[in-house]
Amino acid sequence: MTDKATHSLLKKLLLQRGKSSRLWASLVALTVGTLLLLAAALIWWNFNELLHGRGSNDSLGSTFLTISKRVSKERSGRPETTVFSQAEIADLKRVAGVEDVGMLLSNDFPLAASLGTNSGMDFYTLMFLEAAPDNFLDKKPENWQWQPGNIQVPLILSREFLNLYNYGFALSQGLPQLSEETISQLPFQLIVGAPPRTQTYTGRIVGFSDRITSILVPESFIRYANEQYGSGSNKPPSRLVVKVKDPSATAFNDYLKAHDYATNAEQLRLNKLRSVVNVVAAATGVLALLLMGVSVLVFLLFIELTVARARDSIRLLLEIGYSPKKLIRFLSGQFMPLVAGVLIVALLLACALQIIAAVGMKKSGLELSYVPGWPVWLAFMVSGIVLFWQLRKGLKEAVGKV
Amino acid sequence: MNLKLKNLLPLPLRDRLAERPSGVWQQNVDLRQGDLVFVRAPSGAGKTTLVHILYGLRQDYSGEICWNGQNINDQKPEKLAQWRSQNISIIFQDLRIFPELTAWENLEIKRRLTNTVSEQECMGWLEQLGIAHRKDKPGKTLSYGEQQRLAIIRALLQPFDWLLMDEPFSHLDQANTQKAIALISEVATRHKAGLLLADLDENHYFPYTQTLQL
Repeated sequence: MTDKATHSLLKKLLLQRGKSSRLWASLVALTVGTLLLLAAALIWWNFNELLHGRGSNDSLGSTFLTISKRVSKERSGRPETTVFSQAEIADLKRVAGVEDVGMLLSNDFPLAASLGTNSGMDFYTLMFLEAAPDNFLDKKPENWQWQPGNIQVPLILSREFLNLYNYGFALSQGLPQLSEETISQLPFQLIVGAPPRTQTYTGRIVGFSDRITSILVPESFIRYANEQYGSGSNKPPSRLVVKVKDPSATAFNDYLKAHDYATNAEQLRLNKLRSVVNVVAAATGVLALLLMGVSVLVFLLFIELTVARARDSIRLLLEIGYSPKKLIRFLSGQFMPLVAGVLIVALLLACALQIIAAVGMKKSGLELSYVPGWPVWLAFMVSGIVLFWQLRKGLKEAVGKV
Repeated sequence: MNLKLKNLLPLPLRDRLAERPSGVWQQNVDLRQGDLVFVRAPSGAGKTTLVHILYGLRQDYSGEICWNGQNINDQKPEKLAQWRSQNISIIFQDLRIFPELTAWENLEIKRRLTNTVSEQECMGWLEQLGIAHRKDKPGKTLSYGEQQRLAIIRALLQPFDWLLMDEPFSHLDQANTQKAIALISEVATRHKAGLLLADLDENHYFPYTQTLQL
């Protein structure tokens, strides 16, 4: 162990000649390089989370698509031609890139909704409901369940519908525009069935969907109500929700075209953005690696310069019996804390960036974690290992040259 | 630690030395720990070269140097460092003091490497050689005589089996030389060490057991 006095003597001999402005410049370069590398990992992971994660982030292009049969002149008025048979569903499941297929069940019973106030009935409309398997929902609301006997029915409303109401219907009819929070507070009366056999439920909106353009209820409710108030026949689905690996994949799109299936084109368009984002993230990564490489080089050159300046002292220390290992250990002890400091500062800045991104994205309705994801930690660990290894190697070589 | 020289010849001086009779170059020499060896060397005979070769600072020679049967040229830097801090000490002809460190710091950086000599004893040696009053002066401001006395004390601040000396008293007057000899003898005896002194002229600094003509 080097004692304190020896330590200060070695410091006087080996580190007094280096210019501290150069050291700071190289440390800043190293911090920027490391931060950029972490930021590239951050960007890549965040976009990946937005695009493929389990959160409700479909506005950036979903891998869930709603598919229906195109309504043509021939099919118009013949609903039986726009439904999917079991064979067609099975066939779709076999298409390369298709990960899962879910059926949208629709109501097979008369249904109306009314919005009552104390002054009487204000709003009344015929409507429809659909149900999708839970794993196809953007985000399953906490109270997303229904069982016979329950009067409350949870609803998920398509954001597109709310937008249509707010910017189309409400404005033209002089009705109030409704925020997501406001509409979630309103209890709807759902009148199921036809006289004389009707039942009134209370519908409450518990979530919003970017993924499925519909009004969704739990599957158990649709099945129960279809059985109780419907025709009794099991209607095949007219719309499917498909989870695909890559919605822009040619094989999948060719299949849709060949079978004359229609899908939400908006999502396909957004998926192009997704590939652009991937390219941007990759380019940032490459740039960050280059910058990191250059800054590591600058730092190592600074160390080499420091050792070169102290060459005479190092040589004499070796001549009077100091071992190269002892000198390398001493120099490592001087530079390692700086490198550790650089890594910690870069990591803290990356964490701050993640929080800023998460807060910013939340305003746009996108959900991001407040803690950086594993690629950032991995990049941190790898850059740490590489930096410490390079430092040790650089010192060994520099002292060895003396 | 014993020292064996086998057919030693420095390559840069090969032509000049090959034709001269020498008791060291191209000879087999065996030296035992505790020997007091004087190497008499006229100018240009390779005196400093020999001391540096023995200390492992130069590898440009033919033949072999073996310390306790181990060829010095085969040793790794870590092993050499161990020998230099535990077994072989040296007083360089060109003194090699750290110019930016004070006289005391020059000694401390060596003393603390092995901690075989106490701070008080080291201070006593400074007083013994008459440079205690200069202990806080930077090495570069010391006279050659002061630097030489500092280099002598530094060489004694470690355990050693052999002390190599290259014109160790060249900058000292008679009185200071006697003081330095007394100190070196005392410490060398304590360590049961051998001394190898290379100088230009005949001298009786130590009761030599062997004299070699370079």
